[in-house]
Amino acid sequence: MGNDRRNRLRALLARHDQEGPGSRLRHICALCVKELEVTGAGTTVLSRVDDDGTQHHRGLVHASNAVSTQLEDLQLVVGEGPCVQAFATGGPILVPDLAATYLRWPAFASAAAELGVAAVFSFPLQVGVARLGSLDLYRDRPGPLTPARLADALILADWATAAVIEQVDGHNTSDISWMADPHVEIHQAVGMVKIQLGVTTEVALLRLRGHAFTAGVPITQVAKQVVTRTLRFVPDNEPT
Amino acid sequence: MTDRPDTANITHRGRENRISRTFVTLADTLSPDFDIAEYLNGLTMRCIDLFDVSVAGVLLLGPDKDQAAVAASAHRAELLEMFEAESGNGPCCDCFRTGTAVQCADLQVQPQRWPAFSTAAHGYGFSAVQALPMRRCDQTVGVLSLFSREPGGATREQVNLAQAFADVATIGILQHRMIEAGDRTNEQLQTALTSRVLIEQAKGVLAERGSLSMRDAFDRLRRYARSHNRRLTDLAAAVADGTMDLDKILG
Repeated sequence: MGNDRRNRLRALLARHDQEGPGSRLRHICALCVKELEVTGAGTTVLSRVDDDGTQHHRGLVHASNAVSTQLEDLQLVVGEGPCVQAFATGGPILVPDLAATYLRWPAFASAAAELGVAAVFSFPLQVGVARLGSLDLYRDRPGPLTPARLADALILADWATAAVIEQVDGHNTSDISWMADPHVEIHQAVGMVKIQLGVTTEVALLRLRGHAFTAGVPITQVAKQVVTRTLRFVPDNEPT
Repeated sequence: MTDRPDTANITHRGRENRISRTFVTLADTLSPDFDIAEYLNGLTMRCIDLFDVSVAGVLLLGPDKDQAAVAASAHRAELLEMFEAESGNGPCCDCFRTGTAVQCADLQVQPQRWPAFSTAAHGYGFSAVQALPMRRCDQTVGVLSLFSREPGGATREQVNLAQAFADVATIGILQHRMIEAGDRTNEQLQTALTSRVLIEQAKGVLAERGSLSMRDAFDRLRRYARSHNRRLTDLAAAVADGTMDLDKILG
């Protein structure tokens, strides 16, 4: 029975074998949406920056729709949520009802609810002890994954892992352009603010975050303003 | 007469133990000092220990398909020559291609089946060959071959056991490869993602200091790295953490 399931999924996936980098993961996400009856699927590749696991470098491999894109980003910006936890612990995190998690992940739950997310299922991309990221599924109405769908999801997460490995291992790894960095402008803005204020990277990032918080806008928007030079940070003053 | 059953029992138990230990050894491909040559060699030695064959050999295709590993219990050079002589037509090739067991109990009987191989094998004194696939699902990674000087070769029961060894070894090898690839990927991603962040930060630093566009900032960074033979990532890190004299780059 298990083999039938695997074979069926494999056949569905095999139709796309000849395409370029990252496309296999795109098809795995599409297969998730279709076969598992979820609204969206996304994969993010992560590597830990520090030892307590709160900071990550990330590459967004693929998201099947805009909400998934935002969901992938959200979890890492607020630093909590099923994806972060799945990556930290190495086990799937299943949230059939987001509304029940407000105490657990207050920032994540409210922001995700605003996006229209009602259920989230996160699966780490893992082989051995190497943890590479997560596959995150969401639904716009609450409800669990059935056992059969859960089994399918675990298979698809395995394949997503294999696809990432195949893409990265032994290839020219300076080319990770197939993995978007949604925060390119944040990094650039950090560099600019460092010079504008004469401070360290950490302080520059804090100043950007602080301004975003005060102004009530996302940090990506502040970063864009800095990079397009409509916003400058000046020492000892509010930014002009 | 009364001694024999006991002796037979002890021998049987001893053989059972050796078989069990073989399975355990074949399953363990997870230790950090795993060595494929040693592993395959061990498999061939177990085969000649447990089966009525003269020589056992393994031909294993590497993860990059153009590499192969060859192990033999003995007469490795001869085995290699026989593999070569097959030239696409022989028991090991047939086995690998079809993913099924290929056997010949007496090579003298049908020399036209594999002419070049049979000649070579006969020259080295082998009469029987049994080639077993190292295969999992639709992926054949190698061949375990058993050679006998007498016609006949290993018994049916022994062949079944040898196939079981081959199956376990295949799983172990594939798992080992997967785990190694995972570890490598982890490291490579770490490096690539970190590098990307540093390069973007460095672009910001140079763009601000030199009143440049991001593209021009990147061009300067790359040009300096090339002409001073420095790795781009290292240079970006130095620019990003303020330990680099920016005028040299903006110059």
